[in-house]
Amino acid sequence: MKRRNFLYGIGSASALLASNKLTGQNIFPEESDDCGCYPNTSFISEQTKPRVLPTPWQRGDYDYVLSKVRITDLKTIPVSVTPTSDRPYVFVKLETNVGVVGWGEATLEGKAGSAMQAVHDLKDSIIGSDPIQVTHHWQSMWVHAFFRGGPILGSAISGIDHALWDLRGKLLGLPVYKLLGGPTDPEGVRGYYHARANSREQLIELRESAEKLGVTAFKTGLPAQTYEWIDTHAKIDRAIKQLQMIRESLGPKIDIACDFHAKTSPAVASIIIKEIEPLNLLFVEEICPPENAKAMAKITKRSTTPIATGERLIAHFGFRELIEQGIVDIIQPDCAHTGGITGVWAAGALAAASGISVAPHNCTGPIGGLAAIHTDAAMPNFIVQEVCSGVNSTENERVWEEWLGFQAQRMVNGKYPLSDKPGLGFDVNEEALKKYPFAGTVPMARVFADDGSVCGW
Amino acid sequence: MKKTTQSEAFNLNSGNNAFTYSGAGISDIVQQRRSRLAESKKTENTPMKPVGDLDIKDIRGWTLKEPVSKNTYTVIKIQTGSGLVGYGECSQLSPAEFAEAKRIIIGTPVTSFEVVAPKLSHVTTARAAINIAMLDVTGKIAKAPIFQVLGGPTRFKARALAPLTGNTDQELINSMNRLKALGYLAFMVPIPTVVWRNQGQEYVLATRNRLDALRAAGGENTDFALDGSNKLTPGDAQMICEAIENFHVLFFNEPCLPVSIGAIKKLSAENVTPIGLGKGITGENQILDLIRDDAVDIIRPSIGLNGISQIKRMAVIAETYYIAVGPDHNGGPIGTAACLHLAASIPNFFVQKIPCPEAEEDRLMRLALVAEPVETIKEGYAPLLTGPGLGITVNEKIFEKYMEASL
Repeated sequence: MKRRNFLYGIGSASALLASNKLTGQNIFPEESDDCGCYPNTSFISEQTKPRVLPTPWQRGDYDYVLSKVRITDLKTIPVSVTPTSDRPYVFVKLETNVGVVGWGEATLEGKAGSAMQAVHDLKDSIIGSDPIQVTHHWQSMWVHAFFRGGPILGSAISGIDHALWDLRGKLLGLPVYKLLGGPTDPEGVRGYYHARANSREQLIELRESAEKLGVTAFKTGLPAQTYEWIDTHAKIDRAIKQLQMIRESLGPKIDIACDFHAKTSPAVASIIIKEIEPLNLLFVEEICPPENAKAMAKITKRSTTPIATGERLIAHFGFRELIEQGIVDIIQPDCAHTGGITGVWAAGALAAASGISVAPHNCTGPIGGLAAIHTDAAMPNFIVQEVCSGVNSTENERVWEEWLGFQAQRMVNGKYPLSDKPGLGFDVNEEALKKYPFAGTVPMARVFADDGSVCGW
Repeated sequence: MKKTTQSEAFNLNSGNNAFTYSGAGISDIVQQRRSRLAESKKTENTPMKPVGDLDIKDIRGWTLKEPVSKNTYTVIKIQTGSGLVGYGECSQLSPAEFAEAKRIIIGTPVTSFEVVAPKLSHVTTARAAINIAMLDVTGKIAKAPIFQVLGGPTRFKARALAPLTGNTDQELINSMNRLKALGYLAFMVPIPTVVWRNQGQEYVLATRNRLDALRAAGGENTDFALDGSNKLTPGDAQMICEAIENFHVLFFNEPCLPVSIGAIKKLSAENVTPIGLGKGITGENQILDLIRDDAVDIIRPSIGLNGISQIKRMAVIAETYYIAVGPDHNGGPIGTAACLHLAASIPNFFVQKIPCPEAEEDRLMRLALVAEPVETIKEGYAPLLTGPGLGITVNEKIFEKYMEASL
């Protein structure tokens, strides 16, 4: 309880920091080639007189090209749908001098506390600025960070970026997908649900529901919770047979994707994706952890099954090598981690030039998902959006309905419908959010092999 | 070989309600996919619903010619169902290309500037002008300049580059002095007249001397880009690159024909003189090899062949390799306006070339085309245009005077 109060308090603590005389200004050490680490030029030392230069905004250079709207406050509102959730939603709210507010989501699985603090660390780039110039602010948050990239900075930038786009849309009177030059399909954005069916009977039932609902694609996972560096034939065969059963039961009309969740090594993943080649899957996802492009390339070369990855890659910079080397067929940026709408759009544009498709990942809360849908609607190389639910709506979605007034992850005829409202197209009931108080940071599940060694899931 | 084993495995598991798989079943999937694809193509050609208020209802075009320079470019105008109008500009457009583009875009929502692009991929010049015009209308709907619609401003002014005209060094100095008086501080310098292939030391020295003479006349706050205009052989280009390495040009533009990336790669590896390339490029994929092979330091796609959005996409690619964007522009003032909005929409913009015709008559035409002062330079930079859309008022009345063809 104390912890919750403390973190709610961050919002007001920011007001205190905002009164600091150095906030929002360019601070240069006396010598321009100084790295800032010597005591005589330390930014915080009392004896020093750092050369403080006004920003271009403070000089007024930007006045003639900006709107009159200014961001007056930045708040994070963390909510835990259940006390044990490893991903309490970190909503970001930007307030302006004209009363219009923008909403975003900086949720980061297992790192709620870090994500919230990271959002507040970016405050200087945002407070007092014009929400219209989102590209400029994105650059400022990325470049001025000095330590660029990483999921914590990526998620924080994402949350602020969504809120800036929401504000931009509301101020310019257009839905975000129109500001981005969409929509490709006025009926909406094609999505896939998670299969959430294990037996043949359940799968056949799922096929019937899909036919009724117009759903055209599903995603499934591998049957074992963990895989070791090399694995036994029983576990490998089970994975192959399970995927074969899914294809047989769902039939040829439904696209099937399989998420390896980077819990397989190149050795194990290679065998499975070689054996499932004839199933013509839509894609297999995260066949190994994404930080080693060469290892992923080794698997990719061994199968014709399209390879997708990207939920843990940050900004377009994070996707460059995989695209350049022809390792991936489909990229999966996550709108709540990769740098928001600006980040997903840029990664999509980079992929498009190489003929590579985009199928954004989404496994956080409703706002990140809605931001992704707006971006999808404007990308010519978009194929399908992950809709983090099943054919039947979940408890989560009923909670989201209390917050936003609609179930934020429901498709109609296999597509996620687009709203005509300006911005991201929703209002948040803040009273309803309070019913789900933040229950603290909960790490992601820790899983182990039979011998007790550490495994990913 | 693998497939036989797999189909056997499938049959083991097939139950009553399940689909049975065989090799033929797999090719069914391919056929299914193909028929689905064919269906989606079919719907593209079905008659459109009635033109809505914010759909494109009409498009017109005029090819204009500057009286003295004889430079030609096409201006287009689109109109929505509700009567909103937007202007665009591109390189000279043929009637056939215009007609094909018109067939495709009538009935399209005017704000769908990004998703209409793939449908126009076979008429890229028209695509450039249509993109600018659609953004002009989108900005008018949003009551905001294009750079704001696109997420900017990323900067509050755009560095300008003026091409010098003349054959001799003295003519170029005169041209520079005239343009300096107009506010320009960066200049594109043509190489000395190319008379033959592989011209050797005399030519190399003449090029270096030309740059030295211009800097001596222009002073320390002037900058220069050398324009090879694809006229040199790789041999001459690499010697000149070497000779001007310590002159520190902004960049050496089109040092030799980029038909073979090999020649440009060699040039780039031998020298630290930044290389500018790209004026003929019409798709973002065409810059990929240049960038990935370390052949270019500043990409220079032409606004008249690409429009704003296409160059914005190229800028994303360039940004991930830390490469600058300095669009080429050989058209009129509407194109210049588009360039300024682009400059303020991307992070890695460096410099914008702005045509500055020598003849008074040509300059008057440019001034008369647009009511606002678009090509006004202050201390080397062009200020941004702040009105809705392109932020310009096009004077259609003078089209007739300068018209080469009506589309």
